[in-house]
Amino acid sequence: MRNLLNFLAKYNNLIIFLVLEGIAFYLLSTGNNYHNTKVVKGIRGTTRGLEQKISNTRSYFRLRDINQELASENNSLKNTISRLMKKEDLLFFSVSDTIFNQQYKYSSAEVIDNSVNRQKNFFTINKGRKQGLSADMAVISGESVAGVIVGYSDNFSIVMSLLNLDFRLSARIRSNGYFGSLSWDGIDYKNVILSEIPRHVPVSLGDTVETTGYSAIFPEGIMIGVVSDFEKPGGDFYTIKVALKTDFRKLHFVNVIGNMKKTEQIELENSFQ
Amino acid sequence: MINSILRYGLIFFLLILLQILLFNNIEFSGYVNPYVYIMFILLLPVEIPSWLLLILSFFTGLVIDIFCGSPGMHTSATVLAGFVRPYVLRLISPRDGYEPGTDPSMMIYGFRWFLFYTLIIVFIHHFTLFYLEVFRFTDFFLTLLRVILSSLFSIAFILLLEYARRGK
Repeated sequence: MRNLLNFLAKYNNLIIFLVLEGIAFYLLSTGNNYHNTKVVKGIRGTTRGLEQKISNTRSYFRLRDINQELASENNSLKNTISRLMKKEDLLFFSVSDTIFNQQYKYSSAEVIDNSVNRQKNFFTINKGRKQGLSADMAVISGESVAGVIVGYSDNFSIVMSLLNLDFRLSARIRSNGYFGSLSWDGIDYKNVILSEIPRHVPVSLGDTVETTGYSAIFPEGIMIGVVSDFEKPGGDFYTIKVALKTDFRKLHFVNVIGNMKKTEQIELENSFQ
Repeated sequence: MINSILRYGLIFFLLILLQILLFNNIEFSGYVNPYVYIMFILLLPVEIPSWLLLILSFFTGLVIDIFCGSPGMHTSATVLAGFVRPYVLRLISPRDGYEPGTDPSMMIYGFRWFLFYTLIIVFIHHFTLFYLEVFRFTDFFLTLLRVILSSLFSIAFILLLEYARRGK
C-alpha cells in the first residue's frame, strides 16, 4: 500500500497526463460521429447562439455579393421555368398534381458556421429536423456541389463539406460520360481530385465535371467544377485536378436537396446484391 | 492570490476570444492556421504545480474544441504542451535559475529566451495538432509544411502580443 502511494506520489503528473490525454483521445475517437454524441451536441447547442451572431455580422458586410448571387440564381431559375412550362403544355396531366413525377425536393438554408482551413471541414446550416431535413441529403450552393448532411438537431444541421478528407463522391466528365471517384486532397480549397478515369479516355482542360445520380444523394448533372490539370501517373488511371465552381470561402445561402425516391432506389439495389 | 486568478482569467478570456473571433477566421491558402490560445499555457507562472498546469491545459483545449467543433483534437495537443512545459523550462533555464514568483515573460528573461521557449512549445503543440487532424502519414511533408508555416505565424503573433503586454 505504502509502495503504491509512493509510486502515485512520484508519478502523479504522468498519471494525470495519461488520464487527461486518455479522455482527449476518447473524445477524438468518437469524433467522427460527434454530432451524435450527446455531450458535444449539448455543448454545441450553447455555442450556436454566438455563431449565429458572428454569422449575422459577417453577412451584413457581404450583402452586395449575396444580392448579386441571388439575382443570378433567380435568373437561371426563371429560365428553367419558362423552358419547363413549354414542355408541360405538350403533356396532358392534371395541373393540380404538383408532385407528378417529382423526385427531388429543394429547401434553402443559410450557412451559419463554416471553415475551409482544416483537413476535415464541416459547416452548419440553420435548418434541421423540424424543417424536414435529415441525414444524407445533398447540399448545393447556387448550381454546384457543396456537401452532404451528416447530422441534424431540431433546428440545425451539420454538413460534411466537399473539402473533407472523408468525402467521396461519384462524378463524371460531362462530355464523354466516364465516371470516377472525387475526393479532396487537403491541399487547397479551390481544387479537388477526380480519380479512376481510365487512361484511354480523352480528357481536355476545361471539361465540365458533374455528379452522377448513382449515390441516390445528389441528383444527376449537378456541376462540380472544370478540369484544370491532369496527369497520367504510372497506373491505368488519370489523376485529374478539378477546379471547384463553388467558392467555399463565400458559402452563404445553400439549397438542400432531398431525394424522395431514395428509399425505393436503395431497397431495390439492396435486394439484388 | 485572488488578484492573479483574476489576471489569468482575463488573459484566458481575451486569448480565447482572439482565437475564435479572429485567428480561426484567417484563411490564408489553407496552410496557415495560427493557434495563438496556446500562449495562455506559456504565460502561467513558473512555479505552478504540474497537476494544475495539466488541468488548465485540458480545459483550455476543451473550450477551443467546443468552438471549433473538433472534440479531443485541441485538448490532446494542449495537454501534451502542458505536460512538456516543465521539462522545457528546465532545459532552457537561465544560468542563475528562475526567480521565485515570476511569470515566464519576455520582460524578465529577455527576448532570446522567450523566443526559444515559445518556439519549442508552439512547435510541439502544432505538430501534434496537425497530425491528429489529418490522422494519416500520407502527405507527411505537406502536413509538416503546414505545421511549420502555422507555427511561424503563431509565434509571430505571440511575440507581438507579448510586446503589447510589456508595453502596458
